[in-house]
This record gives sequence, C-alpha cells and structure tokens, in this order.
Amino acid sequence: MLLSGVFLLSSCSTKSAPQPRAITLQQQWTLNPGDEIAGTPITGSLGDVSLYLDGKGIYAPFKGEVEASEQAGCVLYSTPEIPAYLFRLCGLDQINYGSLKARQPIGKGKHISFATLRRQPDGTWVIVEPAKDVLEKALLN
Amino acid sequence: MSNPSLQTSASHRPNKVPLKPLIAVGLVCSLIVLLMDIRGIKTFLSTPLAFAHTPIDRPVIDQLAGDCTTDIVSSAQLSREQLLKLLTVPERDPKTRIRQITTEPYCQLSSINIRAGVAAEREAYPLAFDPTTALVILYENDEYAGYRFLF
Repeated sequence: MLLSGVFLLSSCSTKSAPQPRAITLQQQWTLNPGDEIAGTPITGSLGDVSLYLDGKGIYAPFKGEVEASEQAGCVLYSTPEIPAYLFRLCGLDQINYGSLKARQPIGKGKHISFATLRRQPDGTWVIVEPAKDVLEKALLN
Repeated sequence: MSNPSLQTSASHRPNKVPLKPLIAVGLVCSLIVLLMDIRGIKTFLSTPLAFAHTPIDRPVIDQLAGDCTTDIVSSAQLSREQLLKLLTVPERDPKTRIRQITTEPYCQLSSINIRAGVAAEREAYPLAFDPTTALVILYENDEYAGYRFLF
C-alpha cells in the first residue's frame, strides 16, 4: 500500500505543466489569450492567427523546446534553428512539454491561436506579422 | 482494504472466489492506469536511442549534414576567438560585419521566412573546439538578427 501510495504521488507530479517561461511583450493589450471576460475565456487577441485545426495535430517544424506560457492555455515553442524568435500557441491539448525532435507533435486542438514573437535587443518580445513558412511546416506531417 | 493474511479465509472455502483481494487489486490497478502518463511512456518507448547513445556525444556536423542546403565548407568552423568576436556584434549590424569575422559559412540552412515581408537567411558554424555544438545565425534583410547554439 505504501509503495503504491508513493508511486501515485510521484506520477501526480508528471501530470502538472512545467514552470512557465516569463517573457515581456512590448504590446501590452488589455485583452490577452488566457484572460477571461465575463466568465468567458479569451483564446486569441491582436496579433494571433486563428486556425481551425479540428482536432488535428501541430508539429515541431524543427528540433526545439515547448515551454508553458504565463498566459493560461498557451505554450511557447522555440528552436535553435530559428534564432531570435518564439512562437506562441494557444488552445492546444495533449501538449508535449520539453525537448522535441523535428516533426514531433506539440499538441492537438480544435481552435488554436498562433503568434510569432520577435526578440528585441533589450530582451523584450514583439508580436510580428508571420510569414507562411513556419506555420505551413508545423501543420504538415 | 484487504490484507494478504485474509487470503487464508478464502482458502477454507475452495468453492468461493476470493472476492475482496480481487476487488482491491482491481481498484489499485485502475488507479495506477489512470494516473500513469501514457504519452510519456509512449515517447520513452519510441526513442530508445536516446538512452543508448546520448545526443551530447554526437558530432553536430552529422546533424547539419541533413540540415545544410548548400555545399559544406568543412574548414569554416569557429575558433574561440571568432566566437567571442561574433557574440559582441550588435543586432541589426550588416551581414558584412559577421563576414569580416567568419569569412564564409560552413553552410546555409534551408531558406524559411519567419516574418512577413522580411527575407531571412540562416547559416551554421560548427565550433572547432566543441564538435558537439554549432552556432546558428539568422539574418533578416541582410542584417544580423541573432544566434542560437545547436547541439
């Protein structure tokens, strides 16, 4: 009993999301993904591209890392193959946190929001208009 | 919850199935299954090589062999001095500033634009003093945009 109790406690810790990565966005919108308005969750805001994924997966375009975001329901994907950029994805389920190989699923979702963040020389981040390439690569499998 | 010693009561009635221990085992099993990280186990099983051959041992040029899209210049590896000089170059400096330090890249990575309306170029430079690591440099509109270490 004691052993199974210890096992249960240790497996519980693997279920929770990891420590979120704190970033400072230059665009300080009033309404951000992860906020709630009149009890309704906000899943995307200015600068997000909304995708109807319909339960399909979205995949790491390159070997990289998935971290939790301070915005509820969002993750941050980064890759050493694309310096100076972060990608924020909101609305995903079955998220694979941590190091991912290229083509490994980041998560699945029905309606997701995708934002491209560019690092500024002062260390803050700016949401920029994305080109098609990265998103295309992430959706194809 | 049942106790292994209670098994003796069941053995006195050979016709009756030991119900209590069976239910207990069933409950514990279903609890374990519910809490198990199935996806984590799947990922673990699908990457057996991660444990057999730690990535840190692999020379990065093997990885780059698949990523490079231009001819490889095997001599274009960074020395410590070159890397240090490179890391002091401020963002938005022209590409020529990097070229002054590196002369030519080991190779170019696939062309992929990240930002709308901005032409991006990526180059890779293995570190001469650390074969497991390479430096990836991003240029946007011929300006230095940033670096990351790849290993």
